[in-house]
Amino acid sequence: MKTPVIPAPPTPAASISEFIATFAVILAAVVGLVLFDTALARIDSRERKVSAAREFAAGEQLVAEGKNDQAIEHLRSASTLDGENTRYATALADAVLADGRPKDAELLLVPLLERNGTDGAANLTMARVLVKEGKIAEAKSYYHRAIYELWPRGAEDNRTTARFELIDLLASTDARQELLAELLPIQDDSTNSLAQRKRIAHLFVVAGSPSRAVTIFRDVLRHDAKDADAYIGLAEAALSLGDFATAKADLVAAQKLSPQDSSSIQARISVTDSVIALDPTQRGLSLGEQYRRSRYLVQLTLASVRKCLGTQAPDVAAALNSAGASLVASAAAASQSQSIDQTLLLAEQLWALRRGRCAAERPDGALALVQNRITQ
Amino acid sequence: MPAIRVAALPSRLVNLVEDLRRKEDRLALLLSLVIGALVGLVVVAFILLTGRLAALIYPAGGAGWRRVLTPTLGALLSGYLLFKYFPLARGSGIPQTRAALFIHDGRISLRSVVGKFICCGISLASGIPLGREGPAVYIGSGLASAIAQRLGLTRVQVRSLIPVGGAAALSAAFNTPIAAILFSLEEIIGDLHAPVLGSVVIASATAWMVLHRVLGDSPLFHVAPYHLVSAGELGVYVVLGIVGGLTSVAFVKLLLWLRAQFARMPRASLWIQPVAGGLTVGILGFFVPQVLGVGYDQVERVLNGDVILKVVVVLAVLKIIATSVAYASGNAGGIFGPSLFIGSMIGATVGAVAHLVFPASTAGPGAYALVGMGAAFAGIVRTPLTSVIMIFELTRDYTIIVPLMISNLIAFYISQKLQKVPIYEALAHQDGLHLPTRVGAQLGVQRVSSAIREAPPSFSPDTTIGEAAERVKDSSLESWPVADELGLVGMVRTRHIESAMKKGRDDMTIARLMQVARKSDGARYRELPHVHNDQPLSRALARMGDTGHNVLPVVSRANARIMLGVVTLTDILKAYGVERAEELDYTDHPDL
Repeated sequence: MKTPVIPAPPTPAASISEFIATFAVILAAVVGLVLFDTALARIDSRERKVSAAREFAAGEQLVAEGKNDQAIEHLRSASTLDGENTRYATALADAVLADGRPKDAELLLVPLLERNGTDGAANLTMARVLVKEGKIAEAKSYYHRAIYELWPRGAEDNRTTARFELIDLLASTDARQELLAELLPIQDDSTNSLAQRKRIAHLFVVAGSPSRAVTIFRDVLRHDAKDADAYIGLAEAALSLGDFATAKADLVAAQKLSPQDSSSIQARISVTDSVIALDPTQRGLSLGEQYRRSRYLVQLTLASVRKCLGTQAPDVAAALNSAGASLVASAAAASQSQSIDQTLLLAEQLWALRRGRCAAERPDGALALVQNRITQ
Repeated sequence: MPAIRVAALPSRLVNLVEDLRRKEDRLALLLSLVIGALVGLVVVAFILLTGRLAALIYPAGGAGWRRVLTPTLGALLSGYLLFKYFPLARGSGIPQTRAALFIHDGRISLRSVVGKFICCGISLASGIPLGREGPAVYIGSGLASAIAQRLGLTRVQVRSLIPVGGAAALSAAFNTPIAAILFSLEEIIGDLHAPVLGSVVIASATAWMVLHRVLGDSPLFHVAPYHLVSAGELGVYVVLGIVGGLTSVAFVKLLLWLRAQFARMPRASLWIQPVAGGLTVGILGFFVPQVLGVGYDQVERVLNGDVILKVVVVLAVLKIIATSVAYASGNAGGIFGPSLFIGSMIGATVGAVAHLVFPASTAGPGAYALVGMGAAFAGIVRTPLTSVIMIFELTRDYTIIVPLMISNLIAFYISQKLQKVPIYEALAHQDGLHLPTRVGAQLGVQRVSSAIREAPPSFSPDTTIGEAAERVKDSSLESWPVADELGLVGMVRTRHIESAMKKGRDDMTIARLMQVARKSDGARYRELPHVHNDQPLSRALARMGDTGHNVLPVVSRANARIMLGVVTLTDILKAYGVERAEELDYTDHPDL
């Protein structure tokens, strides 16, 4: 039997020397092109960076002048010309945010953070964007990243800015525990300026830790006994602690040290006087006076509740009627001390009802301060 | 090229080269790598040089007259060069690449590659709003062809390297290695299962690596991640698909019509014709500078939500006009890039309107611009798969894929319905070339269903030869189905029945006759010869050759014993437009 012959594949027509020469030429071309392309790419990149820097400077200038819409054009050009420079992109997002377009700013920041999630500036801008969009929980997370992630320049200052922005956000949203958690690490930071320390102390009062505020303010006064702001801060802390007499004394001291702010301090003194006149738990009051003040407190609280809730809702109306009836009934109660306790309890309950349903009363208002004192 | 004396070379190198020349697969692998690297570097050089030249021609803050004069002069210079020295470098490069592949055995001259490089460089740098991708494909394929020719490779080998070079070029030009592979297979070859797939993949990947080595890892567009805001948004993407499809058709028809008008002009005017395009672009660019050039910076802005409704509408319309005139008048450059520009503006327009009407339930216009790019590309270039992958690779954003597929398919469908011939095919037709197409190839395949006829009554296995002979005597059918109560069991030949009849076996059953036939057929015997409705007629012909039956039952794919009909040799030949020799009528033949 004949063995079948498989035809060999055709070999290229070029001779071996032609073959080698062709590949040698290709190799030389590849090497030459690598050098040529790399040099050209470097020149191109350098010129793009220079143009981008020029556009960025023009954009920053316009931002400083408050011309955000014009600045955006330049910053966008800078960002397009040098896409790798996150500073340009972040500045663009900042300008877009300042122009009142948080959604667009967010769209610019997302790819930036996807590429480099550790960019402190981008995280801070994203936090600001989210605050504008009302996404507070997400914003807090980005503030934390801005505080702990990387900043190529001015890291300390930028981190402090981010932290204080977060602190302000927490204070404005009444997130007391979180606020306290943010304040504690910076309480004893020696790099804090005097103004920052007083601000921290004030925020401790907001966070519900007035005793820490007192410590800081006293420390400030040890360095400068004529610091009227520190006295005002101490008064604020004392009011929060329910020590109204001390608060008044501090405010009077502040008024003496800063006569130019007399009117504003006087307003605070007036509130403190009202509190002192209203507080039924003050030491040294007769039973009769305590009883009178407690009834007055209930009447004020009831009026405040009525003002904010009205009597349209049947359950609220019933509760308010019942409170009114209790007030009459307590007048006929067996002993005055019992009646005081019941009246104060009623005031407390009404205040709790109000807190659950109405917008917060001014914390530095007389009624709020007294109620705060009673609940302590 | 200087010759090298073989004797002067080390014997190991000579042996190595000899070995390489003999082994086709190793040579293909090496060439794929070499072509990928070389083409990648050449295309990167093309991009960088064009960019540098454009930066020199258009300095920042340049005067308005520059925008009118530069494209006009650019078109004049490139038009003259094209006419005088590089006539094959005109236009996009994709139809020319396909012509080289299917008509010229894969041969592209190095001269036309150089011409394409120079003319497109001048044209694009001067602000002519055409794309660099089509020319890059031609340059890549041309380099691959030139290398293959220089190495003295066979016709088949030269042809196989055309898509390899094309894929490498597109990968480097667009930074989309997967889309480059798909485009090469889908558009250039027209076959996604082409045997050159491996080489195409290697070349594309190599070119992509070269691009990254030189220009760094950065997508063509930096795009914010988008997502579906609400399910109802899909309806807006449907609208975008429709608008994208209609716009694509309008663009293609306008371009082809204008090109036909230019083609009617005297041949002597060929060198000056591109100036008409350059001047039109210049005038438009004077008023709206964004019309100049391919405009990827503008596309990126729109993709990132920098959309002013009036501006994007104007840009879409002006770009369609500028690109159509520039291309039709014979400037060098492609329609790849412009189709993305037009698509992004159309998408941004639809998105901006939708966002204005339904601000809470739709994404920003940037998302629509992104999808619009894909829709326009699918509608104009007609490669739906490539367009989806390309947008994904351009943006590296997966979340937009579903809306993208919806819009793309709608645009593709509308474009297919309203513009029967795809643009590259139509352009080739205008040049008098009739290239095979993917669609054409699919349509050209005739299926068994086109030749099926009703099955004759089947014989039962118990039918006697006498009864069967009575039934077949007046029929020309050469084989008959045999079926029992469960369905088809086989085929019996008329001649076997007649033969048994002649031998006096009237009482023999068909079942017995089939057993005898099994022995006589030997190796050709098949238990149940059949074809399916959806199989090509060529398969039926081959099956007839295998089994010796001129009649085959067409059976269900679900159950081969269910007969749908029969297909006969005569019917197949008729379907191909060929009659059997004995049926041909030669009476009018002059020699008879």
